[in-house]
Amino acid sequence: MFSANNCLARIRFLPVLFGAVFLSLACVSFASAQSGLSIEGKSVDPIKASQGKIAVLIFVRTDCPISNRYAPTLQKLSADFQANAKFWLVYPDKRTTPQQITEHLRQFHYSISALRDPAHSLAKFVSATITPEAAVFSAQGKLLYHGRIDNLYVDAGRARSAATTHELKDAIESAAFGKTRMPAFTPSVGCYISDLE
Amino acid sequence: MTASTKRIAVIVTASFLFALCASQLTRTHAASNPSEEIRVTFNRDLAPIIFRSCAPCHHPGEAGPFSLLTYGDAKSHARQIADVTQKRIMPPWLPEPGAFKFNDDLHLTPEEIALFKKWIDDGMTEGSPSDLPPAPRFNSGWHLGEPDLILHADSPFEVPASGSDVYWNFIFRPPLEKTRWIKAIEIRPGERRLVHHANLIVDRSQSARRQEKSPGSGFAGMELQIESETFDPDGHFLFWKPGTIPEPEPHDMALRLDPGNDLVLNAHLQPSGKAEKIRPAIGIYFTNEPATKFPLLLQLQNDRKLDIPAGEKNFVVTDEFELPQSVSLLAIYPHAHYLCRDMLAQAKFPGGETKTLLHISRWDLNWQAVFTYKVPVELPAGTKVSMRYTYDNSDANPANPNSPPQRVIAGNRATDEMAHLWLQVLPNSNATESGDPRRVLQEAISRHHVENNPGDFEAHYNLAVMLQLRGEFPQSIEHFKLALALRPGDATVENALGGAYFASGELPQAITHLSAAVHARPDYFDSQYNLGLAFANAGQFSQAIEHLRAAIQLRPQDADAEANLGGAFAAHGETKEAIAHLRRALELNPQHTLARENLETLLRDSPNP
Repeated sequence: MFSANNCLARIRFLPVLFGAVFLSLACVSFASAQSGLSIEGKSVDPIKASQGKIAVLIFVRTDCPISNRYAPTLQKLSADFQANAKFWLVYPDKRTTPQQITEHLRQFHYSISALRDPAHSLAKFVSATITPEAAVFSAQGKLLYHGRIDNLYVDAGRARSAATTHELKDAIESAAFGKTRMPAFTPSVGCYISDLE
Repeated sequence: MTASTKRIAVIVTASFLFALCASQLTRTHAASNPSEEIRVTFNRDLAPIIFRSCAPCHHPGEAGPFSLLTYGDAKSHARQIADVTQKRIMPPWLPEPGAFKFNDDLHLTPEEIALFKKWIDDGMTEGSPSDLPPAPRFNSGWHLGEPDLILHADSPFEVPASGSDVYWNFIFRPPLEKTRWIKAIEIRPGERRLVHHANLIVDRSQSARRQEKSPGSGFAGMELQIESETFDPDGHFLFWKPGTIPEPEPHDMALRLDPGNDLVLNAHLQPSGKAEKIRPAIGIYFTNEPATKFPLLLQLQNDRKLDIPAGEKNFVVTDEFELPQSVSLLAIYPHAHYLCRDMLAQAKFPGGETKTLLHISRWDLNWQAVFTYKVPVELPAGTKVSMRYTYDNSDANPANPNSPPQRVIAGNRATDEMAHLWLQVLPNSNATESGDPRRVLQEAISRHHVENNPGDFEAHYNLAVMLQLRGEFPQSIEHFKLALALRPGDATVENALGGAYFASGELPQAITHLSAAVHARPDYFDSQYNLGLAFANAGQFSQAIEHLRAAIQLRPQDADAEANLGGAFAAHGETKEAIAHLRRALELNPQHTLARENLETLLRDSPNP
């Protein structure tokens, strides 16, 4: 009886252990806390898929005029740092279809990979609340910076004629070359991701 | 032909993000009484506000970047709406509530604004379908029906994908064969997400064309300077901003459009993230009723005082003008660039009482507009109208175009500043009593500006024109000379000064200045015509013929030029040529009395030329 009890105790314990391992594995293949869905619907972990480069996630939505206005800036940063950083556009609006994203990429001349984030897994993973908002990960997967791209917008509807601080660029340079200081988190201005829940 | 008056038309405009538009809510929410507190629902509480105040811009094809027509639309922007309404970024409406009400007031009440937040707190419920008001219906075509005349910009303009705001001017050339009266113009600026606002200006002398690199190309520029050929200023604001539904002019205040008049659209454009072309169109609605009332745009300004040190947070510029006659104030249009923060316009009545005509405590160039009073404000003679603008040239002003801040003075560029206040007024006196009643006002305001700023070119010029119209030639010549000293060699002023000398009978001086005008700008019809006429009056007919011919080459349909050329040929003894040109003048204008009388004389005196 005792041994049976002991055995039961162990048997009870094991599923928990297995369960944890199983869930962790499931995340990798289906819905990890740090994965999004590609246009084709495959689960992609952008940090792993950046293959040793710095991973830069930019949260956007197709109908947010502020994130749209950043398209040329983002395209340029992505090209300027292509040797060191891999950019990802993350679309947290579950209503936005892969076709709409493809059209959005075409219209704004993006050549940046896109991910859907319908369950807001990536948004929660980096605590992103706004579109546009950037998150910068080291090649090892450590979150180094998240926040605004620059200070072009003071508030929704109030933009400077040009940005005077460039947090995302500074963060990438700091991560890539280590010569400059990593900027602190700075809140972004734009559209609320929480409106999409 | 008399010399011309000049008006400086100011334009402005915008970058927009979220375009909610609103007016006053008549319904109060039950939650104002705690005992009746109920959950805010979209259908009952928000839909009436959103349909009325947001949807006019937030529907497909309009300026708003997303639609706000359904529960789902509102829910997916709920926090955004609560945030921008609470900060009064949306709906875009600059004036503070005051003594005088404006048309299309978009101001939301505090109770309305509170509803958006409470809706989120209450769980964003949709509510009962029976509470939902009918969805608004929007006309995607011309709002006033098919226009009598539709004009498209000659060529599109490509708004770049990124960068700061862009100002572009499109010239429309209405193909009129006779004078028409306009009761309404609808401006369709093209892709509305890109156009923050646009001003349409009548250019009676095609002066804007000189700024185009090639005909139809359009031209860059934030501010427009338009010359007017005679004293008939365009007293109308033709303004477009997102959500604008065109309003016909009052039936007695139609806008005159003559053959050869251009319409210039000055558009403020904002990059959207992708390069996009825009090609505006305008639709014109004519009326057969000529205007009987003529408003005037009075401009208070004090640009000379604009010299704002870098870092100065509280720089004040004022102007005050005493009305020489009573007027009805119809509309008001404040204008400054990016550094201005606070604008106050007031009227101090002869009895001593002061009332605020307009107060904007958070000026935002992007949302500028013409504000039309619901009821015209009566301002008796002796009323002092004033403006008081406050500028912030520190780096705490995010709109500051310079980083770090720089000294800023008045100018036309976006990085310069302005201090202007336009008042659309209707003089309260009968035109037949003392000529055009606008002249009294125009002369008074020009004199006011000359006294304020002896270096004000336009003020000297306009004052000179008003004096000339009153027959005060020596004074008129004096002010034209002062204007010329400020812009030596300017063809328009040389022509006007020559015209003033001509009118006062001083032909040698007239010929000197008109020749200077022709030399400065050989394709200037007025100066060729005036010089031809001056030579004719001086008995120098071959020179007269030369310049009148040059004038006709520039404007082949001008009956006056043909009639005068005919006269010059007749005086020169070339009867056959004279008859041909007089007949041509009568072809162009069968009612041309001078041409007919001269022709009759010639035919009588030499029946077989």
